[in-house]
Amino acid sequence: MTEEVTIPVVSDHELLHLIGRGSSGEVWLTRNTLGTFRAAKVIQKKKISSGMPFEREFSGVQKIEPVSRLHDGLVDILQVGRNDAAGYFYYVMEIGDDISTGQTINPEEYTPRTLGWDLAHRRRLPIGGCIRLGAALASALGYLHRQGLIHRDIKPSNIIFVNGFPKLADIGLVTDLSESGTRIGTDGFIPPEGAGSAQADIYSLGKVLYEISTGNDRNDYPALPSPLVDSAESRDLIRFNKIVLNACRSDPARRYQSAEELMTALLAFQFSKYSPRKQKARNHLSKIIGIGGVIIGFGYVIALLWRLIWVLNHTP
Amino acid sequence: MALQTEDFIPTRYSLLSRLHNRDDQESWKVFFDTYWRLIYSIALKSGLTEAEAQDVVQETIICVAHDIEKFKHDRTLGSFKGWLRNLTRWRIADQLRKREPAMVENAPSAQIGGELEAGETPDPADDGLEKIWEEEWRANLMAAATERVKRRVKEEHYQIFDLNVIRQLPANKVASTLGVNLAQVYLAKHRVLALIKKEVRSLEKQW
Repeated sequence: MTEEVTIPVVSDHELLHLIGRGSSGEVWLTRNTLGTFRAAKVIQKKKISSGMPFEREFSGVQKIEPVSRLHDGLVDILQVGRNDAAGYFYYVMEIGDDISTGQTINPEEYTPRTLGWDLAHRRRLPIGGCIRLGAALASALGYLHRQGLIHRDIKPSNIIFVNGFPKLADIGLVTDLSESGTRIGTDGFIPPEGAGSAQADIYSLGKVLYEISTGNDRNDYPALPSPLVDSAESRDLIRFNKIVLNACRSDPARRYQSAEELMTALLAFQFSKYSPRKQKARNHLSKIIGIGGVIIGFGYVIALLWRLIWVLNHTP
Repeated sequence: MALQTEDFIPTRYSLLSRLHNRDDQESWKVFFDTYWRLIYSIALKSGLTEAEAQDVVQETIICVAHDIEKFKHDRTLGSFKGWLRNLTRWRIADQLRKREPAMVENAPSAQIGGELEAGETPDPADDGLEKIWEEEWRANLMAAATERVKRRVKEEHYQIFDLNVIRQLPANKVASTLGVNLAQVYLAKHRVLALIKKEVRSLEKQW
């Protein structure tokens, strides 16, 4: 049985067709009076079990709307409307790229490109791509956190591309750091201590980086992908993985303490090249130190024994 | 939802008591994580499709939630292991009965039990089921213990264990791949294995 679709009214926009449906609302492809394509998310009260999430989502939109256009890594919110009599509100956003035609939108065939779609079709991204995407999103997240806001539901399907640039979308769960107590988010992307903090957002982004770099499911974390052949790409993956581990530590105190710290680690990775010779030299040095330690220890024991024998021989 | 109380394995008494409270999401999460694979796997081996097997998992967990108090007070229901096996078997039978004729023709073949006639209730003491349940129960204990340990140990240690023990990569290869020395590989492997063994013993005692 198909669910009945009631078409809401979005001021100055023609609703073309549904392009997404989630737990909190529907997303429509729309065209404004200038002929520009936009996406409109409509949240209907009757489709949400209690009134709280409806108001929570509206409150999230109120908070994010003024700041969304101030950072390239956040989806622009261009218009907000509310119809209490009909029991819904909506917000109009910039349109995400189509999976094959980018910003050239053919409404009949439009399928939004999300990171989730990319992963489903490419399984994993090259490490260079992971760094660029991670740094862009960490920067957006850092900006959000500096505004006193948290996202609470970072995952591949909530990351869209606009002109090929990744952006944090689905801002319905955005909230103030001060009212972040509710347990919410998506299983596997939530840290052990629960969602609702800047630290938890960093963990979620770390899990996204884990999925895109390894091609593994988030629940396989921290397992590495197989096979791990001896190649430059594998060595890069192992090094990149250290950043992922530091973003996803179970103990929040051992995680990156800010999104900026994560971004810095990603950028530093880009500028530091792996050198097999340096690595070999480091291994060689640690071997020498190890052997030296054993010799010194052994010498110390011999000296003690010698001293003991001397004392025993000279004791009347 | 993630766990906050992964540092210990609940005892039979404490977990059963907490399952009584349906709002105790943490305890239900522990329970679900421990047993869903077992129920799902048995459902698939009974010839159900993936979607039907998912329904069986859901329905069985609902039954546990509904009857856990009865189980706690009625010792004639036997061990938890046997009780869960019966609940699972009955929910599988429910799914088979729901099938329409067209579905039956295209359904995967069963490794246990055999096809049921309409209205027939399968015998939970079926020999084939008993044997496979036992095997799956053991495999599930190992998987559940590994999963729990994975969340508690240092991530780097689990990666070493995964490569060396689960994927059978030689220790020297693990060391060179991860850029660590051999001693670190042996130490991490030893630590994780010891924790998994301990966890399996706790899970065995649990019910």
